[in-house]
Parts: sequence; structure tokens; C-alpha cells
Amino acid sequence: MFTHSIRRRLVIGSAALTATALALAGCGRSSDSPDAGSQATTTVSQGPATGNLTVWAMGTEGENLPKLMEQFKQANPGVNVTVTPIPWDAAHSKFTTAITANTLPDAAMVGTTWMGEFADLGALDPTPQGFDNSGFYPGALDTTKVGGTQYGVPWYVETRLVFYRKDLAAKAGFSTPPTDWDGLKAMAKAMKDKAGAKYGINLQPGGTGSWQTVMPFAWSAGANITGDDEKSFTFDTPEMQEGLKYYQSFFTDKLAGTDLPPNQTEAQFVNGQVPMFISGPWMAGSVAKAGGDAIKPNIGVFQLPKNKTATSFVGGSDFVVFKSSKNKDSAWKLVKWLSDAKTQASWFKMSSDLPAVKSAWQDPSIASDPLLPVFGKQLDDAKAPPAIVNWEQIAAQFDTEVEKMTKAGQSPADTAKAIQTKATQIGAGGS
Amino acid sequence: MRRTWWIYLIGVLGLVAVAAPFLWMVLGSFKTQGELLRVPPTWWPQDATTQNYDDLFSKASFPRYFVNSALVALVVTAGNLTFCSMIGYALAKLRFKGRNALFIVVMATLMIPGMVTFVPLFVLVTNAGLANSYPGLILPFLVSPFGVFLMRQFFLGLPDDLMDAGRVDGSGELGIFARIMLPLTRPALATLGILTFLGSWNNFLWPLVIAQTEDKYTLPVALALYSTGQNAQNYGLLMAGAVVVVLPVLVMFLAFQRHVTKGIAITGLK
Repeated sequence: MFTHSIRRRLVIGSAALTATALALAGCGRSSDSPDAGSQATTTVSQGPATGNLTVWAMGTEGENLPKLMEQFKQANPGVNVTVTPIPWDAAHSKFTTAITANTLPDAAMVGTTWMGEFADLGALDPTPQGFDNSGFYPGALDTTKVGGTQYGVPWYVETRLVFYRKDLAAKAGFSTPPTDWDGLKAMAKAMKDKAGAKYGINLQPGGTGSWQTVMPFAWSAGANITGDDEKSFTFDTPEMQEGLKYYQSFFTDKLAGTDLPPNQTEAQFVNGQVPMFISGPWMAGSVAKAGGDAIKPNIGVFQLPKNKTATSFVGGSDFVVFKSSKNKDSAWKLVKWLSDAKTQASWFKMSSDLPAVKSAWQDPSIASDPLLPVFGKQLDDAKAPPAIVNWEQIAAQFDTEVEKMTKAGQSPADTAKAIQTKATQIGAGGS
Repeated sequence: MRRTWWIYLIGVLGLVAVAAPFLWMVLGSFKTQGELLRVPPTWWPQDATTQNYDDLFSKASFPRYFVNSALVALVVTAGNLTFCSMIGYALAKLRFKGRNALFIVVMATLMIPGMVTFVPLFVLVTNAGLANSYPGLILPFLVSPFGVFLMRQFFLGLPDDLMDAGRVDGSGELGIFARIMLPLTRPALATLGILTFLGSWNNFLWPLVIAQTEDKYTLPVALALYSTGQNAQNYGLLMAGAVVVVLPVLVMFLAFQRHVTKGIAITGLK
């Protein structure tokens, strides 16, 4: 019912909405336009949080957050928190219209790829002093930084690993997972030749979101999306080409297929047709749902293989306070409480969202899990694209060019060049 | 005889094409997530479960979403039937200064895509203090330019003689409209009613944006909230929710459909 393409249409549509609204208003929204309290909060006062706070959170997080808020209210008896859950499908539209009409809540969970846009619209309050930023995973912390200023904090994280069928890997002669690029390739080949798989590994042949799987290889080869200024693009480099070439080689060697039906990753993993894929922590649950208890002991994960580095993608969500909030001091207290290691661990138990705070991973509920510690290790080397306003548009072009490369045999050099040209045409955006 | 055989075959094929996805949705709502994703897919639920419906109805506010949706859709439909027919009648049958200019204004608003007016409308409604209220959900849709256009065109087709006859018999203008002309537009009203109800019932973006707290959410918004995650979707819940969302629409259509076919017969006589 709500497919990826519809979601994308909504996102693109809402971007158009905002643009139109700004045009109709006759003036761009300057960074200090929200009327209430345009002064940035620099420090958070001592003492408990008070007053009313409204908070937006998406999907399951929005459903579960009220439970966590009970604990916050116990610690801060004078505060009243109202959580509004927002559907993921159109959350971006909801935020952009709310920014335009100045009907934002005090604080909210925000997708990491939206940070650049919202900060550019002048909606976010810069993070005050007194946060222990070194406690966060560095890749996650980077998602809160736009043009050198930090907005909000990372709240929860996810990263991508290689999932594999342990039983079939043993059959293919890989009792220990590979650690470098050649090893991953050899393993995919052995899965196909010796373990009876149709394809060795399930890689997305382009299309929406495929950059999240392709970019880790490019990053591992030393590529970057932008220069240090976060304005000019560096897609057309030998490093980027190397990453693209490696990705393409899985398709040219028939180790990954372009003819697989979409949304069947779990099913094909369970029936052994395609016994490897690269994805995030939620897939462990999805695979278990599709395959039942029998599959659980056979789910294995390992870190992305190494070239120059072994870098993965970091996603998740940040927690921000909006400039327009009339109760910013208490809102920041809430954010601070949320990024406390103890809160992060109890939030994991409620939501199974992985903590952005490193020390929370020592909680036994995470440390004793068979798969999760591997994600924790990968998070030490995980990156997100820079927080540039037009990222979603550029990512869409990236996905299209990757599709041409995997399906129509466009060369990695031409692909890199095409992405660079299109990204430069679109521009990083922002003021 | 041969001819009817063909017609039946085409009819059955058409029925299958229309009904199969619907049937898949209903059957899918009784499957587990694992079975829904299974390859090859199964038609009949192999281990049928009502878990999806249990999950859906256990969401504390589910009756609330249903009432919200019904209230908004019914009031919007009633408003459209009343106001669009009145305006349409005035534009088609009453002579007054600026009638054509007024009609052009109505048409002009019909030409502008809703996406363009979305944000200004939101700002307008918010500034009027109607964010997160039922009036905020209902007022902007109480009358639609399309409905006005539809009713005007239909009234144009009715003979003026009927109005003259009413006047001769001493009926007032309101009486002519309400007792003579309006009953004749039943097919147009049925069409307008179905389209408006459907549009309002399925509306997603406006209720999502205007509702600031969960207790003002409508069914489609709630359904999107509970079934779609950041990275994974609960297909079973989505199917069950879709069945529940579709049922009232189906009932509505069956209720109106009689009038539509009847209306076609009447207009055919004309």
C-alpha cells in the first residue's frame, strides 16, 4: 500500500510544498525568523524540568516514548510531556509544513538525513554546552552537525552489516567470515558454487536507497561525498570508481542478481536461494519472523570487509529542540536525560533501538546478544552523508546511476562522472 | 447464444482482475508476516490467525480514529451536498449580475493543484486558531469547486419550464429549488456524495498535518502510523487495517449505487 516510491513522492512533494510556501510568503525564511525566543540556548540551567513539553516522534518510537516519559516525569515531577506519534510515511511533510506555519513542538525525533534541511530553514536550536559529546559514536554525532554547528544529539543508531547463513557458509567452506574485499567475493562465489545458492549475495541493483549499500564500499576505498567545505562534490574520483567497480563486479560475475523480485530478501535468505545480504539490525527480527525458530541459530553477521578502511553506513535518528519552543530550558533537560547512558539502555529494552551512547552498550541486554555487539563494533567505523540540504535529491540521482551501472553495464567511470555532473547541477543547497 | 458466452467470459475476467487484489487483501489480513512474505505466495491462509485484528483493535484509541474519520467524512459530505447544489443551482438557473464572473472564479480555483494551496491553507487555518480541531479538519473541504461545477452542469440540463411551472403554482424560489429541482438531481448528488465521502475518508496528508495530538488522528493516519516503520513494515497489520478502512466505503457505495443506476435510467429517459 505504501511503497517506497509513494514515500519518495511524498518526500519530493513536500519539498515542493515548502518551496512554494516560501515563494508565496514572498520572502525566504531567514535563520532568525521564529518569533518566540530567537536567542540560542547556550547553557541548560540546573534543577528539574518544569512546565508543558510537546514532543513528536515517528512510528514505533512515538508509540513507545510515552512509557519512557513516565520515568522522566518521576524524576521531574513538575513537568508534563505530551508525545504525538507521527507516521514515518509523511513525517517529513508534517515537519516542513509545521516549520512554515510555526506550529512546531518543543522537541522532536528527526531523521538524520533531514538535519541539514531543517537547520537551513532556521528551525533548530543549536546544542547548548554541557553535553558529553565524546560519549556518542562519532559517525552518529556527525549527523547532528550542519556547517560546523551542532543541533540536537544523536538518539539511536543503526548500521549495516553483512548477514549470512551460518549453516550454508560452513557448507561453502567459510567457517570464519571474511575480512577483506577479496574474501567477501570468494565467499559469495562459494555460496553459489558449493552451497547451492542461486546468487551468493543479495545486493540492491540500484533504485531507492541503494546508496546506503554502495557508499560504504566507496567510503572503504577512501572516497568522500563532498570536500571539506561540504559544498563541492567529489563523486568523480578514482576512489569512488573503485567502490563502484567492486559493487558492479558482483553483478557482472553473476554473484548478485538484477532479476530478483523486490522485498523478498528475508524469504530468499530463509530458503537459501540468496544466503547473504547487507542490511541493518532490524533484519534479524524480520528474518526470524519469515523463517521461524528454525532459522534463528543460523543467522550470522560480520563487519563490512576491509579495503583501505571497513566503513559502514550509520543511520538512526537525532533528537532536537526547536528554536520556536517557549520552554527550551526544560526541553534541553529532556534531551539531556534521553542521552544519558542509563536512559538509553532502558529505551533499548522498550524499543530495541540501539543506543547512540557507547557506554550504554555494556548493558547486559545488549552485550549478551549473539548479534548486537558486532553492530557496536561496526559503529566505530560508520559514516553518514554530510548534512546537506539537497541530499535526498542527490541520493535519488545516485540511485538511478547505480541502476544503470548494475543493469545496463554503464562503466564505473561513466557512473562516477554522471553522478558528479548531476550532483553539481543540483548543488548542495542551503544559504 | 454464442454472443452471450463471450460477454460472460469478458465479465468474469474483468471481475477477477478487479476482485483478486481485494480478495488478496482480505485473506492476507489473516496471515502471519512470515506467510505474507513466503515464496511462492499462498492464496488461502495456511495457519489462519486473527492476530492482526487483535493488534489493530488493541490500539487504545482505535474507536476514536474511527469516530474521527466518520465524523469528518459525514459532515464534509453533507456540506458538499448542501452547498455545492445550492451554488450550482444559482450559477445555472438564477440570473444575477456577475454570475459568469463568479463561475469563472470557481473554475479558476478548480484549475490550481491542491499541492500549491496546501501550505497557504495550512497557515490560514492555523492562524485562525483551528489547528488540532474538528473545524480545522472539516471547514476547508465543506464545499468544493468540483462539486459546484458538477451540480451546475447537471442543473443546466434541467428544463426551465419546471421552474416556471413552480412559479405559476405559487411556489417560492427556495421551494422551487428544494422541492422541484433538487430531487431531480439525485444521480448527480449520489455521484458527488460518493466521491466526496471517498475523498474525505481516504484523505491522509491534511489530517496528518492539522492534527497536533493523536486523539484527532483519522483512520488512514493511524494506519500509516502503526503499520509502517522506519525500515520494516508490518504487512499483516496493514492488510487488516485496510480491510477495516474499506468496509464503510463499501457499505456507502452499496447504499448509493442504487441511486446511481436509477439516475442513469432517468437521464436516459430525458
